[in-house]
Amino acid sequence: MKLSASDLAKDIGGLITLPDVYLRINRLIDDPNSSASDIAEAVSRDPSFTIRLLRVANSALYRFPSSVDTVARAVSIIGTSQIRNLALSMSVASSFSGLPNNLVSMANFWRHSLFCALIARSLARQAGRCDRDALFTAGLLHDIGELVIFNRLPKQAQESLMLVLDSQDDLPIYEAERQIIGFDHSTVGGELARQWNLPPLLEECIAHHHDIGNATRHPREVAVVHLGNILALMAEIDTLELDDVAPIDPLAWELTGLSKDCIEPTVREAQAEIIEVERLFATAS
Amino acid sequence: MSLRPPPPVLPGFEHVKRAWNNSLESYAARILPGEYYVTRNDEGISTTLGSCISACIRDRNLGIGGMNHFMLPAILSAEPDEWKATGLSSATRYGNYAMEHLINGIMRNGGRRENLEVKIFGGGRIMEKMTDIGLRNISFVRSYLKDEGLQVTSEDVGDVFPRMIVYFPLSGRVKVKRLRSLHNNTIADQEKRYLDSVGEKPVSGEVELF
Repeated sequence: MKLSASDLAKDIGGLITLPDVYLRINRLIDDPNSSASDIAEAVSRDPSFTIRLLRVANSALYRFPSSVDTVARAVSIIGTSQIRNLALSMSVASSFSGLPNNLVSMANFWRHSLFCALIARSLARQAGRCDRDALFTAGLLHDIGELVIFNRLPKQAQESLMLVLDSQDDLPIYEAERQIIGFDHSTVGGELARQWNLPPLLEECIAHHHDIGNATRHPREVAVVHLGNILALMAEIDTLELDDVAPIDPLAWELTGLSKDCIEPTVREAQAEIIEVERLFATAS
Repeated sequence: MSLRPPPPVLPGFEHVKRAWNNSLESYAARILPGEYYVTRNDEGISTTLGSCISACIRDRNLGIGGMNHFMLPAILSAEPDEWKATGLSSATRYGNYAMEHLINGIMRNGGRRENLEVKIFGGGRIMEKMTDIGLRNISFVRSYLKDEGLQVTSEDVGDVFPRMIVYFPLSGRVKVKRLRSLHNNTIADQEKRYLDSVGEKPVSGEVELF
């Protein structure tokens, strides 16, 4: 019997869980009777998360004019819904450390994801009418289905990677996965997001970053993550030539109103920021 | 898909996998670590390199040329020039074999030594935690070519990326593409399997390694 993407996502439900601090914040934000101070209190109950949150709030990512030294202040200036995004972003690397694999090092995997997060956030600001922090999280999570496939179907995953190399890197990895497994990492990631009840924006960005024409609810955000993924590849292999990386779907420029002029400054900015952001987010603590 | 058949293959290279590539609009032979391929026809030769080296050599007048893919086996120290101290021992024989086979293959098929044009690629440091074996491979191939009196006209070596290269001996054109880190382990595994397989062969005598 052939395995489906949803079976695969169900299968790992017991191996990785979202951290308590995210779930607590999530519940409070959805509760109309909760206040910002309830959320600050929920954050404070996790000391290691608190320390890291304050580090992020004081980093170049926010550039607040004065230092943010209490959780209450962090919650009030970052905003409660952004704290939820941050809680997810800051915990996802450690959640997924429960899904090890031999095909890609976690450091390399999260570097690509963080490049995509930084770039998606920057493109969201440039495009306007987009939630920057939600797009940071979407960029960070866009390839989580890959970790599921690499852990659960290592043999087929390796065959897919070989197929890409045999094609002289002409065949995209998601196409190779569809040929060998029957579905690709974006579908698996989308299924996982659904089972975790992640916000629809995140689910759609994860599920459709390779087929943006199929996004129905948040096409603009999905297009930003599509661009973020490809610009992240450029940042990683240190190139500004579009021919060196996977092709950009022209629809992405149309949906975001952005133009190719944004590529160079955005890639350069992400390259300058990556080391600090790796220290803040990619640690499996 | 191409409707035309692949160009004829030279004797001794029948086992090399060739396929039509749409974006290159050409047939390309894909060689693996330890292999080499020589052609007199209009076709590409491709490979993916981690810390291995590929030399691309051709007779620039006749367009006969080929590509190899090799590395030196792991030895105790990571010093780039360590292989020199070990002389013509087991450390360099895989490199010497790979270079000799390629050059002889070109000359056997009509190429002339004085017309040879040489390009070298690879030697990346793709596994952060490992010693820089790529650098040692680069140092070896440069020294080998110098001893043979062959000049390198073009190169893209070192750095931290795996590379995909496609070489067209007829024109001398090379397409080099850096690959994303997603491919690092697959490529490193392939190179390790090659080293393990040559390591099992006896050390002395006229052993055919490739």
